[in-house]
Amino acid sequence: MKKSALLVIPLALFCVLIVFLFQGLFSDPRTLDSQAKDNPVPSFELPDLMTPTRLYTPDVFRGEVTILNVWGVWCVTCAVELPFLTHLKEAEQVRFVGLYFDQDLDPDFGTKTLSRVQQEVISMLGRFGNPYQFNIFDVYRDTSLDLGVTGAPEHFLIDANGVIRMHHVGDINERVWANKIKPLYDVLLQEKNKPLAESQGGEL
Amino acid sequence: MRWLLLTLLVLSNLVLATEDSYEFDTPQQRETFLTLTQELRCPMCQNQNIADSDAMIAHDMRRKVYTLVQEGKSEQQVINYMKVRYGDFVHYKPPVTFATLWLWLTPVMFVLLALLFVVFRKKTSTQEDIEAKLAKANAMLEQEK
Repeated sequence: MKKSALLVIPLALFCVLIVFLFQGLFSDPRTLDSQAKDNPVPSFELPDLMTPTRLYTPDVFRGEVTILNVWGVWCVTCAVELPFLTHLKEAEQVRFVGLYFDQDLDPDFGTKTLSRVQQEVISMLGRFGNPYQFNIFDVYRDTSLDLGVTGAPEHFLIDANGVIRMHHVGDINERVWANKIKPLYDVLLQEKNKPLAESQGGEL
Repeated sequence: MRWLLLTLLVLSNLVLATEDSYEFDTPQQRETFLTLTQELRCPMCQNQNIADSDAMIAHDMRRKVYTLVQEGKSEQQVINYMKVRYGDFVHYKPPVTFATLWLWLTPVMFVLLALLFVVFRKKTSTQEDIEAKLAKANAMLEQEK
């Protein structure tokens, strides 16, 4: 009895250790728990990238399911995903809003002029496709920081109430869209249409 | 000459890697800024603190820490500010929760268990051993006769 316990306990501990370490082989240390998820979009007041006199607030996300795409012309992966995003916009009428931030534009030194940034954006969107309804210009990268952005591209799936429901780090390609984003996107579309139908039913 | 070079080499380590030149109102604020940038972890290059990292996000976080410190926020307030955005991950000192408690508890438990095992085992085995040996000796003596 005692001898078997002496054998079984270390063996069990060893097995637990093996399972723990084995999981570690496949875990990605880069995936962080998004803090933005299930929270409303943090408040901001930022200009449009093309017409800076126009200001946006989180209200732009109200009433429609939106994918907020954090990107920049300096980001190679962003260029890679632009054609697919454009395809999604055209084929499935997905609403993309860009949160643009510039890497070279150091807010403290003002190394780059706005018109230069605009030119770069126009030429890049001309080459790879333009999925965006409009681009919000995160001048000081403050809003990116508030959203917990670590780089680009990153995507925030925002429901019609302006609440972030998914934070996807990395590009959207066919596989990611079909397996990860579309399922929730469809749910959000249903959610958006449901309360509307109910309120209409109430009026009648 | 050699000594001069050596001292220069040693001194160069003291120069902080942050190239941004931030100016502070009080030396204490400077101190807070330096400890914070040492303790906060860069979410992009994960094994560097934001003082060491040259990633854009680290630049932005340093700037944010600077503005928050200038606003008179305490160390803990700045840490909380970053945690709200990047999670517990962003601070090099993990909070004690049920999940992390085991980091401290397991070694202590292991030592205690091992100690108990050693103490417990010695007592029983020696007594039994001596008794067994005595019995065996007696039996041999009996046979001799």
